[in-house]
Amino acid sequence: MKIFKIVTIISVLALLSCSDDDIADQTQGDLKLLFDNQVGDQELILNNENYEKNGDEMIQIDELKYVISNIQLEKENGEIFTYPVEDSYFVINEEDEQSLNLNLGDIPVGDYTGIRFGFGIDQSEYPLNGVDNFIPTAEENGMLWAWAAGYKFLKFEGSYSTGISSGFQPFIYHVGSHGENLDNYKEIELDFGQSLSIDQYEQRVDIKMDVLKIFDATYQLNLADKDDIQVDPVNAPKVSENMKRSFEIKDIITDTLFSNQ
Amino acid sequence: MKQIFVYIAMIFLLASCNDGDEAVIEDLDENKKLNIPQPDYFPELTYDVDANPPTEKGFELGKKLFYDGKLSSSGVISCGFCHMQEFSFTHHTHKVSHGVGGALGNRNAQPLHNLAFKKNFNWDGAAAHLDAQFIIPITTDVEMNEEIGNVLDKLRADSTYNEMFDEAFENGEINTENFFDALSQFLVMMVSNETKYDRVVHEGTANFSAEEQAGKALFESKCSSCHSGELFTNQQFMNNGLPIDPQYDDKGRSRITGNPEDDYKFQVPSLRNVELTLPYMHDGRFETLKDVLDFYDSGVEETPNISQEMYQNNANANAGIPLTEEEKTQIIAFLKTLSDIDFTLDERYAEF
Repeated sequence: MKIFKIVTIISVLALLSCSDDDIADQTQGDLKLLFDNQVGDQELILNNENYEKNGDEMIQIDELKYVISNIQLEKENGEIFTYPVEDSYFVINEEDEQSLNLNLGDIPVGDYTGIRFGFGIDQSEYPLNGVDNFIPTAEENGMLWAWAAGYKFLKFEGSYSTGISSGFQPFIYHVGSHGENLDNYKEIELDFGQSLSIDQYEQRVDIKMDVLKIFDATYQLNLADKDDIQVDPVNAPKVSENMKRSFEIKDIITDTLFSNQ
Repeated sequence: MKQIFVYIAMIFLLASCNDGDEAVIEDLDENKKLNIPQPDYFPELTYDVDANPPTEKGFELGKKLFYDGKLSSSGVISCGFCHMQEFSFTHHTHKVSHGVGGALGNRNAQPLHNLAFKKNFNWDGAAAHLDAQFIIPITTDVEMNEEIGNVLDKLRADSTYNEMFDEAFENGEINTENFFDALSQFLVMMVSNETKYDRVVHEGTANFSAEEQAGKALFESKCSSCHSGELFTNQQFMNNGLPIDPQYDDKGRSRITGNPEDDYKFQVPSLRNVELTLPYMHDGRFETLKDVLDFYDSGVEETPNISQEMYQNNANANAGIPLTEEEKTQIIAFLKTLSDIDFTLDERYAEF
């Protein structure tokens, strides 16, 4: 009998040692990210709203989706916290408000100074690290190139006009990587400009993505020159490079009224 | 005795915390690891076995998936529909593949063998990893015309699949990753090298006929710069000067790279089992090996980006590989020594 009691005690102890749920509460907190897609300083309104872009072109935007991945946070002491890679793939879809809000849980308590994330899917990881499991999400959002076994990183569609007298023509930017020779994945690094404490309070970082910069952050892209950029070894990398420089920290909000606990 | 039992219980409980101790896990799950056969003269494995080690249960699951019409929107087009084992997993006699609702594709189904050694998949290399390849046939409208999410829903509703995923994978989940991993585990095990060629050249247990021997010499001087190595392909994308079919105007590799310099380039196919994989070329336009050699002899056209290799055997600097009728017969005799009949009859890969 005694021996069986010992076995039971050992079993319980051994099983407990496999679980770290009981200590999670004190060492981890949450972070919300809000992706705020804007056109310059204006709010982005899909369909029928006219916006002026570079090159004297007017645009209307019907669809804006992009893939965010590989989220990392930089601590004040220089340490990097990598959010679990298999959970870090997101489609930001302007049409779906829920998709603009990312809730990141289980972040170690501490002071953070910046965030890094990827635009698109890192080729070296694909299809490893659980990114396969992102396929149904990408599929629902039309972010999968069926015939090329790859993801669209950006799906950006609308119409443009080059002057009052000319009507609106459709434009399409679909950008992703193709095989191993056209890698359009980009890493984005943003400084918070302050210290952000992950603790018991709810923290929210608002990240602005400026649609106009897709056309002019580094490379000037006129729709009149090219209004359909898809599998394009010359222009797709330019869109990606611009995309990389289209994000900035807009706001950091600590909500002391609603703590996580 | 009781004390021994206690010790064993302790070891197992402690071991269960440690993922690294695979020997213990294997014994508990009775899910044995499988080794991909690797003939020592084959190229290096390209498939990352550490990321997805084949197991008995994973292989069985992959095989069931491969032959299951659930993967298509109509419920009847399985992978095996276009990849038939008796023809080294090609769609025998079909120039281009037939999909859901009788839809026609624009390319000839490629054979499935020795995939663990391949660098790219599809005629245009649309998938650079085997695990990513499955998206293409499943979601293409003229093939299986289905969504991956729908396939997963169908599998989740099936109790047999629930059991099999549970046995095959540690987390037991029916998700995209496990779905694709299982298919890969089935496919990477399909190694084919039981041919007369292998018996003669690598095992020394058979001899070529005079005709086959002559064909081998011709093949080495006229074909093997592209169809090189033990898989009989350099795994490159090349334009062999095939006349452009205006019905499809299939530009091949450039659809993937967007680079006009890749127009009309297609992956050089392996010639293992070539006798069985008719019809030939990316669009299946040639029905016999003789037709293929007639094309290389006198049908090559100087289309954009034609490979320089198409000029090397021609003193007149016209593109093509001049061959006499006798030489063609000899080359075909040699190519037939690359057939692996055991592979086409192997019950491990068979649907029934």
